[in-house]
Amino acid sequence: MTWVVRLVVLVPALAGLAGLLLARSRPAAQRIAVGAAVATTVLALIQWVAPLGTGDIDTFGALPLGDLSAPLHLLSDELSGLIGFVVAFVVLTIQAYTVWYLREDARYPQFAAGVSLFAAGMLLLVQSADLVLTLVGWEIMGWCSWLLIGHDSERAAARRAAYKAFMVTRIADIAMVVGLITLSVRARSTDLFAVLTEPGRTGLLTFGLVCVVFGIAGKSGLVPFHDWLPDAMEGPTPVSALIHAATMVAAGSYVIARLFSLYAGNDAARTVLAVLAAITMVYAAALAFAQSDLKRLLAYSTLSQVAIMLSALAAAPAAFGVGPGMGHLVGHAFFKALLFLGGGWLAVIAGSTALAPMAGHVRSGVVLRWGMAIGFAALAGVPPLVGFFTKDTVIDAALEGAADGAGFRAWVVVVALFATVLLTAAYCTRAWLVLANGPQPARRPANGALEVERVGAPAGSVTNSRLAGVAWSPDGAVVAAGTERPPEQTSAGEPDPELVDETPPAPSEHRPSVQVAPWRGWWSDTELLALLRTASVAALAAGSVLGTLLLLTLPGSIHVGWLSAVVSVLLIAGAAWAVWVVARRGQRDAADVLPQPVRAAAVAGLGADTAYAAFGRAVVATARLVVFLDRDVLDAYPRAFAATTRAVGRAGQRTHRAVPSLGLIGVVAGVVVVAVLGVTVWR
Amino acid sequence: MTTRDIVFVVVGVITALSGLLAVSTRHVVHAALWLLVCLGSLAGCYIVLGQELVGIVQLLVYVGAIVVLVLFALMLTRAPIGPQPDIDAPVWQRVVAALLGAATTALVAAATLPVIGQQSVDLDTPVVTTQQIASAIFGTWVWPFELLSVLLLVALVGAFAVSRVVLARRSRS
Amino acid sequence: MIHLQWPVMLAAVLAGLGVYGVIARRNAVLVLIGVELILNAANLLLVTAGSRPDAPLAAGSVVTLFVVTIAAAEISIALAVILVMFRRFGHIDLTAVPDLTKGAPEHTERDPTDRTDPAALAAEEVSEP
Repeated sequence: MTWVVRLVVLVPALAGLAGLLLARSRPAAQRIAVGAAVATTVLALIQWVAPLGTGDIDTFGALPLGDLSAPLHLLSDELSGLIGFVVAFVVLTIQAYTVWYLREDARYPQFAAGVSLFAAGMLLLVQSADLVLTLVGWEIMGWCSWLLIGHDSERAAARRAAYKAFMVTRIADIAMVVGLITLSVRARSTDLFAVLTEPGRTGLLTFGLVCVVFGIAGKSGLVPFHDWLPDAMEGPTPVSALIHAATMVAAGSYVIARLFSLYAGNDAARTVLAVLAAITMVYAAALAFAQSDLKRLLAYSTLSQVAIMLSALAAAPAAFGVGPGMGHLVGHAFFKALLFLGGGWLAVIAGSTALAPMAGHVRSGVVLRWGMAIGFAALAGVPPLVGFFTKDTVIDAALEGAADGAGFRAWVVVVALFATVLLTAAYCTRAWLVLANGPQPARRPANGALEVERVGAPAGSVTNSRLAGVAWSPDGAVVAAGTERPPEQTSAGEPDPELVDETPPAPSEHRPSVQVAPWRGWWSDTELLALLRTASVAALAAGSVLGTLLLLTLPGSIHVGWLSAVVSVLLIAGAAWAVWVVARRGQRDAADVLPQPVRAAAVAGLGADTAYAAFGRAVVATARLVVFLDRDVLDAYPRAFAATTRAVGRAGQRTHRAVPSLGLIGVVAGVVVVAVLGVTVWR
Repeated sequence: MTTRDIVFVVVGVITALSGLLAVSTRHVVHAALWLLVCLGSLAGCYIVLGQELVGIVQLLVYVGAIVVLVLFALMLTRAPIGPQPDIDAPVWQRVVAALLGAATTALVAAATLPVIGQQSVDLDTPVVTTQQIASAIFGTWVWPFELLSVLLLVALVGAFAVSRVVLARRSRS
Repeated sequence: MIHLQWPVMLAAVLAGLGVYGVIARRNAVLVLIGVELILNAANLLLVTAGSRPDAPLAAGSVVTLFVVTIAAAEISIALAVILVMFRRFGHIDLTAVPDLTKGAPEHTERDPTDRTDPAALAAEEVSEP
């Protein structure tokens, strides 16, 4: 059975390598990627059903690190089994969806390999019982996110987003590495259980835990490090789903959960975590309301939801354990992946990821409509869906924590949670109203004519082009702008079977359809591709409805208090009603009531990007200053010494006339001086 | 003041005075001759100090060979008879020379007087006999002695080569 | 009995005189006389030290003899150099300023009428390319 645990990591890793080696062949890459994802899901399912309950599964053997023991073990318990299964399942749906989504992308094999490797990194992190392996998985994800966000590397915005994500998470990773090393040194072992059971040295422990909090703040997008996540929307939609739903941003919560018994007894680290999470969830939810781009809206909502997971870990009483946070991780994985995949589908239909051009398109298909409805409802926390249970479990845990005497940090979290529930319901309602109640969907011409302004502009002008999508145009003929350019619809004569509304092609500039090299392979049938897409969305929708059942296996992950449930349902209903009224029953975008400057600032992320750039410039300026100090101030002394010596030498050379007797005087005087010094000084 | 002290002081004063004249006389040839006197009386000092062999060698080598060499050199270069006004360096240089000389004297005296200047030795029975010196040279010091023979050979060849440089250049041109 | 302060003082005086002679003289041969005085001061110190009863290995006498030998070698080389200098430059004045740019001091032309002066001849030859 231990081989199952190892294979869960090995299979996607090998699939990633194989995918890179077979980069030329698309059918082979598809088979490898989807086949490995299926195999991983089956293995993860086995492991979830029958967890070994051990943390001594060898991998490579221990690292020879002298005093520090690094056994490099894997573990397998209920938590890792559940999270591993959810990750594998979400990755499977994403891989299946990618086959459809990138069906005309020449670099699909690399992308699929990157997704596989990413999954391997996450699964390694999930099953790691060793801080070194945790860090390895963590860094694999960081590297793969850079690869995948920058997949459309011809576009400057995508490149910039990739570098931004990499740099921001990397800076936070400094704290992560320092924190993990501190914990390891404290326990004289990198083994998770040794770290968890090591007593004493609370100062070192607090330092390490706070460092880890800042480290996970990078990848989980807590406030000082949050802005890379919306920009990461430049990546193709599957990678957005991958990063946001189950892997990278959730990895931070999982690491905290694994270290929970340490955090439970450490007020300082939990307070830092609580404050960061509370700020992030409210801030991101508020910004999400104003976004003009669906993917960016979802990105901000991810920030907010991840902060909810972390707040559960920060505020829950120790007795509650990690159940509330991990439950929300699972639920969020389902509905956020669903929303992203549905959003990508919509974007392909509408030709843009901006909200305005998508108006009404959600009615294009049954699965799409119900999928998006379920996704938004689950995100908002409407009762029967998984989001309701997990979110209210978190609220309940925070209230219990407050009642338990956690004081400040629990109350901050409780207040932030209720505010977030309100805001989440508001932006979900707003987005849904825009998507569902737009004008009659102007069906995109089937021959592929596309009115998409390609967002290739550098980041400085991104704001403007994003704002262009804000303009609500009732006839739907706006020139839309979105973050990511979705792939174009299939080539001529293949109407999507899901699309029921047939309208004649718009007589706009008629671009010839993209001639795709006819690839012959396993899934050459367009209908099969569409089926894959629909199936993956449907599977995620089912997960969003039935995910609660999964969580019943994880103790403490569903624990809804009646009072908080009633209050949050009332808040959701009230917010939805208010938005519905403000939006004039869906006749306009609710976000239009915001003043235009506020809206523009929110779309631009309140200048966080500028702040990052300023920070970068400040670092560079500091480096220049240090270089200046080193080269022109410190080095001035040695150089002045050298220059003086040279000048003295030149002067001596000019005055030197090679007169022998003068030389004799010099020699004798020198000897006398040295001898006098020798006699007087040396005794 | 023992007898030896008195004898030594007398001989030493002669040595010092002749040395002073050797470095200060305005006659070129006189300088070499005063050097002869100085080195000869220094040999007397050695004998007073009980080192007859060294005194004799001093007479043989210094007085007999080196001073003669110096005289030859003076004769081969321009060595006019009679006082020379430009035999000495400029005045400032002589002042410097006097200062440095006084400093050297003070230094040597200050360094050595406290070490061996306080002692007095009884030289009536010879401290070192010539036989002891011989056995030391050909025993303990035999390797430096052999090296010195090589040094002398090298000096001979070197002196010859140095003078040949000019001749060779002349013949080439 | 002899008090050793006398030979030590004489050695110091001789060394000082030698230093004076080295610096104050223009003629190279007279400079050599100063060098000889310094050497003899050293010899006198060696002999004085060697005349003490506790001097080991007859070192005072032996080293003095060695120094005498070395002085003989030194003076032969030095005189050879002086002779060469005299032949090339026509003088052995150590305070003269040599003309370093031409490879021969300006003093070579001090007596241009003396065509038999070997130094003048040598200087002319050297100055030719």
